[in-house]
Amino acid sequence: MAETTEPILEVRGLVKHYPLTSGILFKKQVGAVKAVDGVDFELARGETLGIVGESGCGKSTVAKMLVNLERPTAGEIRYKGEDITRLSGKALKSVRRNIQMVFQDPYTSLNPRMTVGDIIGEAYDIHPEVAPKGDRRRRVQELLDVVGLNPEYVNRYPHQFSGGQRQRIGIARGLALRPEIIVADEPVSALDVSVQAQVINLMGRLQDEFDLSYIFIAHDLSIVRHISDRVGVMYLGRIVETGRDAEIYDHPTHPYTQALLSAVPVPDPEAREHRERIILAGDVPSPTNIPSGCRFRTRCWKARERCALEVPALAVPAEFRSVSGPAAHDSACHFAEEKQVVPPEGEGEGEGSGPG
Amino acid sequence: MLLEVRDLHVEFHTRDGVAKAVNGVDYGVDAGETLAVLGESGSGKSVTAQTIMGILDVPPGRITAGEILFEGRDLLKLKEQERRKVRGAKMAMIFQDALSSLNPVLTVGAQLAEMFTVHRGMSRKDAHAKAIELMDRVRIPAARERVKQYPHQFSGGMRQRIMIAMAMALEPKLIIADEPTTALDVTVQAQVMDLLAELQRELRMGLILITHDLGVVADVADKIAVMYAGRIVETAPVHDIYKAPAHPYTRGLLESIPRLDQKGQELYAIKGLPPNLTRIPPGCAFHPRCPMARDVCRTDVPPLYDVTESDAERGSACHFWRECLHG
Amino acid sequence: MPEQEPYEPERAIAGTGMGGTMDLGASEAVTLEQPPGPDGADPRDKPRSLWSDAWHDLRRNPVFIISALVILFLVVISIWPSLIASGSPLKCDLAKAQEGSQPGHPFGFNGQGCDVYTRTVYGARTSVAVGILATLGVAVLGSVLGGLAGFFGGGGDAVLSRITDIFFAIPVVLGGLVLLSVITSNTIWPVIGFIVLLGWPQISRIARGSVITAKQNDYVQAARALGASNSRLLLRHIAPNAVAPVIVVATIALGTYISLEATLSFLGVGLKPPSVSWGIDISSAAPYVRNAPHALLWPSGALAITVLAFIMLGDAVRDALDPKLR
Repeated sequence: MAETTEPILEVRGLVKHYPLTSGILFKKQVGAVKAVDGVDFELARGETLGIVGESGCGKSTVAKMLVNLERPTAGEIRYKGEDITRLSGKALKSVRRNIQMVFQDPYTSLNPRMTVGDIIGEAYDIHPEVAPKGDRRRRVQELLDVVGLNPEYVNRYPHQFSGGQRQRIGIARGLALRPEIIVADEPVSALDVSVQAQVINLMGRLQDEFDLSYIFIAHDLSIVRHISDRVGVMYLGRIVETGRDAEIYDHPTHPYTQALLSAVPVPDPEAREHRERIILAGDVPSPTNIPSGCRFRTRCWKARERCALEVPALAVPAEFRSVSGPAAHDSACHFAEEKQVVPPEGEGEGEGSGPG
Repeated sequence: MLLEVRDLHVEFHTRDGVAKAVNGVDYGVDAGETLAVLGESGSGKSVTAQTIMGILDVPPGRITAGEILFEGRDLLKLKEQERRKVRGAKMAMIFQDALSSLNPVLTVGAQLAEMFTVHRGMSRKDAHAKAIELMDRVRIPAARERVKQYPHQFSGGMRQRIMIAMAMALEPKLIIADEPTTALDVTVQAQVMDLLAELQRELRMGLILITHDLGVVADVADKIAVMYAGRIVETAPVHDIYKAPAHPYTRGLLESIPRLDQKGQELYAIKGLPPNLTRIPPGCAFHPRCPMARDVCRTDVPPLYDVTESDAERGSACHFWRECLHG
Repeated sequence: MPEQEPYEPERAIAGTGMGGTMDLGASEAVTLEQPPGPDGADPRDKPRSLWSDAWHDLRRNPVFIISALVILFLVVISIWPSLIASGSPLKCDLAKAQEGSQPGHPFGFNGQGCDVYTRTVYGARTSVAVGILATLGVAVLGSVLGGLAGFFGGGGDAVLSRITDIFFAIPVVLGGLVLLSVITSNTIWPVIGFIVLLGWPQISRIARGSVITAKQNDYVQAARALGASNSRLLLRHIAPNAVAPVIVVATIALGTYISLEATLSFLGVGLKPPSVSWGIDISSAAPYVRNAPHALLWPSGALAITVLAFIMLGDAVRDALDPKLR
């Protein structure tokens, strides 16, 4: 799927720090919440990049910066080679047309005072050049049809729909301007299991139909594997391991990824006896006070002195550099080592390591 | 049986009519056993639990029929005062959102100690010592210091441990856990679930685990009751149900979840939406969404057929369970 | 490969709040059994917004009906007092001073021999006009300032917050005595101006708070991500979702403004004779309360009923608009 041409989106050294201040009149900065602390990744046309991580790891902040809802403290976001973080006015508006977002909560992401037609059609009010006035209603109805809703629902209000249907409306709004990239922040985590599958299938279908590139952010590792071509694992504001889905899921080399994967409950009662669980000690440290060296060392069972002194770079670890295999992917660990944590039965059944 | 729910019916009066949230639920749990009640929002799984605990809001809720036998006594026939004695001492509940279930203006130590001063009549000093002991037991580090802290000073996982400590305080016979790990991160989820299972084994409690997560169920449950539109559609030992579901709804759920160990192309999706509880479809409530539905499904409500094949008891509320099980 | 899911005829729309929380009373449990026909005949099918839901509730609320009827009556007689009172409120006959009820003069006469009935009817005009105009001024000024402060935040917001704090510290009656005693104009405008001056911080606070709440909703972020301008965000997305508490507080405040006007007129700094106002009449009847209690009773009663009607209306509107009660 992913071609080796120039990436459509390129993120370099992305940082977002929220200053912590004290004092009433004369505010002085006493620290910072380091929500995102140096993130790099690329997205190819037509590709899906999954970003997984636990709450507070900064994945949602990354999403907001990608769609320009937050301004990065430092770093670049290059869309087709152009840094969009410093844009404003007209240029920003035209970039926004091409990068749209689908939100997590289908209840708060639709304005309760607007009809579905107005919610989706608003995109055309803001960007009148996309659709001539007389054409808008037809376009909105087409979009409703595309996301699997009855086009006659244009005059209804959001509260008349269920969560899954609202999420479809949110997706239709994201599609209205025919963007090239959609950033989806936990798009199905608020939905019921049986409805989740409907929405995931819909997103997969739309990707083919509209040639979309997705940044798919979620905490559910199974869903991310299902939809993603490549996966990045975030911990405390950084990507700690990234690679193709089979590389990450079947051959993880970073201890955090291994712990994360081993903790996911698998819907198979047979697996519970012969599965090794890595239970991490303690909680995620506060993003105001990030540990020195490797930020995962405070919870890592492999941590040694070097981990406190040296920040591990996100690169192919030295021991795998010479081999060409699924274990040779970027992993920010000094003591990276392959470990199979997901029961192996899936290996043959899935699409394996090759591109589908 | 430690607890047995028989033919429970609960409804709610709403602006849009009478919502039939629970329509004849039967299930039971033994000491030391874990029953997972699986269902989506609106399936009635939480309402059933609230009714068992006696914390259902009446009105708008109304229990129209049924029995809840706990150690042989029908809880629904007890006076509120007697009921209160059962609650907390003999059965306890763990909620999804630990932050809103704990009192924000009291230290966690005070809240834990209160369990002992109120129910056991202990002195404040003894109760305080007990509180520290409990926090140690749920593996909260530095319990002696943290006992003086307030709920907001704990992380989500730690708060859920405190909730578990409170529920366990009086060593109840039955614990009802309503989505206890849904709000937590995966790595913390595993810690909390392990702790809960371990304490349950140690104290030989009955555990009713209410959840929508098929993964969590597979990890800890002994048997499962799957609920849909206020009824149990399938009940079975945990191993059987994952191997061969006997109801199309269960099968649909199992097939619709993405798997960690494989990358599929298109997920199986159950079509349509769960029904509105004020207008539950006639016949089998699942028929509008069922790929196997036939005429009889539109008219006749399927009873919970006995589909036992091996030694363990199984039930399925599908007219065509044989086809589902073997086809 | 991926086929389009067909529209099921039973596209039931269920409330999803059933899980842990059981908010079955939520307005979400609307069922759309069939796709709407071309005529849209299904009554359940009408789009229901917050306002139409609120109206649906209000129509069934006796408190609302009674207070709305009282207010409607007051508005009508303040526009056309001659509909129910034939005489002039200024025609007084000292010879009849303090006389009681008699044919043609049901409320009797006051200390100056003026007809109490006619004066009470005409007094409504002052009260209603002051109440409505002052509330309009307060609402517009307060919600614009508070709304902008809440939306943009930063330094302006901090300054505005301190200013409102200062205004809250001013004792209303004392402020009125001081400020209005220097004004000689005998119209309702100085009183209205004074009420707006002191009243806007209350609305500004409410508006600021509800704009901040509305601003945080994802749909505002979504519109921003589409490239919406600030004015669009404010007018299309934030204002409609933030206006309800302002309306409720303003309606209740309207009642208190009417009584404030009466208080100021009673103290002699609001309207002065020969203007007609319930406050003036209460003030002038007070010395004779032993001999002619009726002259005090009727204007005070009218004032009390009017204030109560507006406060009850505000209460009913709040109940209807409060989403938590739904």
